[in-house]
Amino acid sequence: MNEFPGVPQDLAEVVERHGQATAAGDNATVLADFRADRVGQLLASARPPAGMHSAKLLSLEPGSDGLYEAHIRYTGTETEAVFRSRWIELDGTWYVTQVRNVPDTPPQTSAAHPSDDGVDAPHWEGLRRGELRIQHCPRCDRWTWSPRPICPGCHSPELDWPVVEPSGRIFSWTRTWQPFSPEATGHLPYVVVNVELPAAGNRRILGVLQDGDGADVRIGAEVKGEIEQPTDPANYPVLRWRLA
Amino acid sequence: MTTRDRAFRGSTAVVGIANTPFHKRGSATQSSAQLTLEAILAAAADAGIDAHDIDGFSSYANDDNEGLAIGAALGVHEIRWSSMVWGGGGGGVAAAVNAASAAVATGQADMVCVYRGISEADAGRQSYSKGHMGPLLAGHGMFAPAQVCAMRTQRLIEVDGVPASALEALVAAAYHHAQNNPDAVAYGKPLDPEVYADSRMISEPLRLYDCSRENDAAGAVIVTTAERARELRQKPAYVLSAVQGGGPEWTESVENETAYTSAGFHPAMVRRLWEGAGVKPGEVDVVQVYENFSGPAVASLIDLGLVPPGPDAARVMRFENLIAPSGSLPLNTAGGNIAEGFVHGFGLIVEAVRQIRGSSPNQVPDAALSLLLGGPMAPLVSATLFGADSVL
Repeated sequence: MNEFPGVPQDLAEVVERHGQATAAGDNATVLADFRADRVGQLLASARPPAGMHSAKLLSLEPGSDGLYEAHIRYTGTETEAVFRSRWIELDGTWYVTQVRNVPDTPPQTSAAHPSDDGVDAPHWEGLRRGELRIQHCPRCDRWTWSPRPICPGCHSPELDWPVVEPSGRIFSWTRTWQPFSPEATGHLPYVVVNVELPAAGNRRILGVLQDGDGADVRIGAEVKGEIEQPTDPANYPVLRWRLA
Repeated sequence: MTTRDRAFRGSTAVVGIANTPFHKRGSATQSSAQLTLEAILAAAADAGIDAHDIDGFSSYANDDNEGLAIGAALGVHEIRWSSMVWGGGGGGVAAAVNAASAAVATGQADMVCVYRGISEADAGRQSYSKGHMGPLLAGHGMFAPAQVCAMRTQRLIEVDGVPASALEALVAAAYHHAQNNPDAVAYGKPLDPEVYADSRMISEPLRLYDCSRENDAAGAVIVTTAERARELRQKPAYVLSAVQGGGPEWTESVENETAYTSAGFHPAMVRRLWEGAGVKPGEVDVVQVYENFSGPAVASLIDLGLVPPGPDAARVMRFENLIAPSGSLPLNTAGGNIAEGFVHGFGLIVEAVRQIRGSSPNQVPDAALSLLLGGPMAPLVSATLFGADSVL
């Protein structure tokens, strides 16, 4: 009896074997399961637990776009990770065409810090206090983003950094699948939104959209910002967004 | 048009061109300096000049090799000009030609070499985006120019209504042209529409084949006065008009550009380009448009008035219309960054000149007006319009 309704029996066997091969570090088998034209992307998409030694197939079911979706839990020496793989049949053979860690978490990057010239430092220090601060000129009431050493409107060097309501509309967005940095591994794909802030003269600010992988993202959609504190307090927090 | 603009028109010309082979990235055994020197010596030979007579250097995109070091390696008699276009990555490609032309037109130098060389061995990975992805971008997972261009292309499609088919047509034309160019990385590798559509997503809406991929290679062109050009062996490609820069509320703004889905060729810049040459958009015979990614290239053509904005873009952006010799807007006739090879757009300069000479692998018959567009959606963009002697 097939324990996975709606799923071809041969796929169930392939996925079970794939999980065992991954846990055993049998790279030849794992690579052969990856769709040939996206091996590099798939390899760097998901992050396994350190000292991975065992795998358990949690679920396997028909998914969207004619793909089948498997959840496999990998256990390591101290931690575990769940991978969601999506499978496609090409010329009679089953291949992984997408894989990611679940739950969907945004990348925390070492690039989240004030720039070398410090012109944006009040923004980052504001985030540490749980506030979104955007550069503003009190003399001519101009909002400036990205920050500048002087006001581009009236050239005043005296700029302030009012606290701004982290709420706005999506001006544009992209869902990134390519591992452009090792820090993205384990979080791909993720969505970055460019958000117009009505409270700051419609200046736009970037941020990762929480749970953006499966989200129906549209330009114009309302979003609310939340400040995510870093795991290491030496690092800086970042603004994340959530569909309102 | 002012007297100053007229003085620039046709006063300089490109007389020598060369690309090195486009090596797969990370595979060249030469350093970027060696590749650059190889290209310069080949360009000098093409022009029929002694490379010792080069007296100026112009580059862009923070090229690893200063003009002074290149000049020293060549043992030139004298260096009278050495300039770097600031910022904008590939947006400086035409601006570097323009700087060389400005130097020559004003008598600051007589024989200026424009060059760019990349070898991953010394330039490292992603040399094309050095210094462009600061904390306010990378801190939010925006690590690469592909993501910036994807975000802008998303709005170009979703809000402006430019059909995705316009992007595909541009890529298809580039691959088609590469099949006649033995030097192209995609030579002998035609792109099946199904392969394009099913290729892996890089950053939505851009898939693999919407993206250029860098090579280890170098290119060089040599600019001199119109008078000297007429004495040399090649048919001169005259510089008719040249523009560069960033418009209001455009440059280095971390996605706050006002004309967000523009490529950066703002109306005043475009007007200056056409008026400087005394040419209308419809008169251009052939276009080399920088495609870091397909979407920004389409945005460039819209900015220049060569393609209508919004859904109507599809009327012009059709494969049959973009290919030489029969299309009304033949573009990227050697394959472009996407299918010929990527050295920050340098190959596009070389091909723009080949079209004037009549030596393109996909020649547009009697091409007399050849447009080069550099660096779409970068903080700096630039353009050069080349002409044959028939349009002077």
